[in-house]
Amino acid sequence: MEKILEIKNLAVSFKTFFGEVEAVRNISFDVGKKETVAVVGESGCGKSVTANSVMQLLPMPPAFFKTGEIIFKGEDLLKKSENEMQKIRGNHIGMIFQDPMTSLNPTMKVGSQIVEGLVKHQKVSREEAKKKAIEMLKLVSVPQPEKRIDQYPHEFSGGMRQRVMIALAMISNPDLLIADEPTTALDVTVQAQILDLMKELQDKLDMSIILITHDLGVVADMSDRVVVMYAGQIVEQGLTEEIFDNTSHPYTKKLLASVPRLDMKRDETLVSIEGTPPDLYIPPKGCAFYDRCDFAMKVCKDNMPEFTHHSQTHASRCWLSHPMAKGVKGSEK
Amino acid sequence: MQEPLISVKNLKKYFEVGKGAMLKAVDGISFDIYPGETFGLVGESGCGKSTAGRTIIRLYDPTDGEVIFNGKNIFALSRHDMAEVRRNFQMIFQDPYASLNPRMTVLDIVAEPLDIHKICKNSKERKERVIELLQLVGLNDEHAMRFPHEFSGGQRQRIGIARALALNPKFIVCDEPISALDVSIQAQVVNLLKDLQSKLGLTYMFIAHDLSMVRYISDRVGVMYLGHMMELGESEKLYDDPLHPYTKALLSAIPIPEPEVQRSKKRIVLEGDVPSPINPKDGCRFVDRCAYAIDRCRVETPEFIEHKPGHYAACHRIGEI
Repeated sequence: MEKILEIKNLAVSFKTFFGEVEAVRNISFDVGKKETVAVVGESGCGKSVTANSVMQLLPMPPAFFKTGEIIFKGEDLLKKSENEMQKIRGNHIGMIFQDPMTSLNPTMKVGSQIVEGLVKHQKVSREEAKKKAIEMLKLVSVPQPEKRIDQYPHEFSGGMRQRVMIALAMISNPDLLIADEPTTALDVTVQAQILDLMKELQDKLDMSIILITHDLGVVADMSDRVVVMYAGQIVEQGLTEEIFDNTSHPYTKKLLASVPRLDMKRDETLVSIEGTPPDLYIPPKGCAFYDRCDFAMKVCKDNMPEFTHHSQTHASRCWLSHPMAKGVKGSEK
Repeated sequence: MQEPLISVKNLKKYFEVGKGAMLKAVDGISFDIYPGETFGLVGESGCGKSTAGRTIIRLYDPTDGEVIFNGKNIFALSRHDMAEVRRNFQMIFQDPYASLNPRMTVLDIVAEPLDIHKICKNSKERKERVIELLQLVGLNDEHAMRFPHEFSGGQRQRIGIARALALNPKFIVCDEPISALDVSIQAQVVNLLKDLQSKLGLTYMFIAHDLSMVRYISDRVGVMYLGHMMELGESEKLYDDPLHPYTKALLSAIPIPEPEVQRSKKRIVLEGDVPSPINPKDGCRFVDRCAYAIDRCRVETPEFIEHKPGHYAACHRIGEI
């Protein structure tokens, strides 16, 4: 498959008063054309930092790139100047944020916000841009777009605002859409509408999607491949079916088991992951999940596991899947 | 039949929103909550589930209706009598960051209900009780002198739970207690709530929009839409065999974390948004988004009746659809 985005060995840190926080620690993954890749993990695992690195929306300082490349259509985005990046953000990569309430400008009419980008990046006249904005709102199923375009964000409901956000992100037919928790702030019924809309637009416009979420139900619905992050690292990645049916990493297993299922008996206990993720001021030398893992072994404490490949597409970072650990069940620490 | 612990009758809570307009947040809901059970309340944002929870323990003064607790209507109680009764009611809030005073130590936060109701004779007894409570929720005595900012979200929620337990309440309203937490931490808190329930014989009202979690934790579940109760029943029955078209749509929208199931399942997509609760029209509240709506639904508000034992719903067309 043709690759549209390749992240290679990316490491991002933040300089703080107390020292350096290693938010993203050497991650690599790619996104193919028309593919949807889900990045899942808990808060603080680095998934949003990854997304914002691609867009280069991180405040620098305190953030800085330690190593890595982000290759988008053959070019390294980390080597681009701010001017060049603006062109890429305006034309080639769109982004949807979690909270449609705070990511739209409350003092600007919705129409002007959509038109703004068009006029700047596509060199079209205001009238033309407005026509296109109306078309776009129609495409994302905002009723009465001619009227709505002159309204302010507060006159829209949460779901409608998220539609406007999508319209904004999609107006320039981007090749890649980064959706950072696009439905977390929405109700399930509205979430279903928005996810359907994203799938429909993806088909129509041939774009790739990076979907950042912690909702495994949304992942099951949307993604072709899944990247599981923990404490700034990728711990497992693979095709969606591989992740759900052949789960390999203990963290992914626990994550899947900690969500209640609709067919679950009520007297079953929910699996909980005791403890909290490690502090990334001083990231652990070995496996980051060591403290919370039921299968941790001596080797896990001080030695960082490498990726073991289970298939061409499926890999996980755990000593248990190392070829030398065959038959080892993993023991108490 | 067991006596209900709390009996809610025709509860209404309206808010005036200027120019004579009324926001009917809760508009005539009735149900019973039995001792020792968990009653789940679900619905989309703005459906009135939080207002219902708060009105039931009289944090809001109701517009109309009764809540019977121990044979008395608590809305009719004087301020003094209410203070007595209030010991039995507690609340756990959604946001563990906003619901703890950042300038108080955990000791003082957890002891605040004890102070207000003058339970402890001296500071030694007070501290002992607080430590006992902290241990009950999985924290320990060394946490007592710290401040809220030193804790993670899950730990803060535990502090909130310890505070809610301080007066040995009978009934706790949990208003979205886990929505602000990560998936892995959610399970910790839910398991803790279940443990405490069996240890202390608590009764919960569990308000949430995470439908799978509500099914898991609740014995019975009520579904609200725009201030009305649409359906109520035992949780497994309600989820397996929903009667109301709204419940059906709501349940079908839950994304299931299994790719094959999720991708092959049929989703009932609701068009549009939840209408405004300001001066709502007569008739069924769901009528504009319902695929089965007939003329009668627009004129006549459907009654909330028992269709199967213990399974209530408000819809004219049950049995036909």
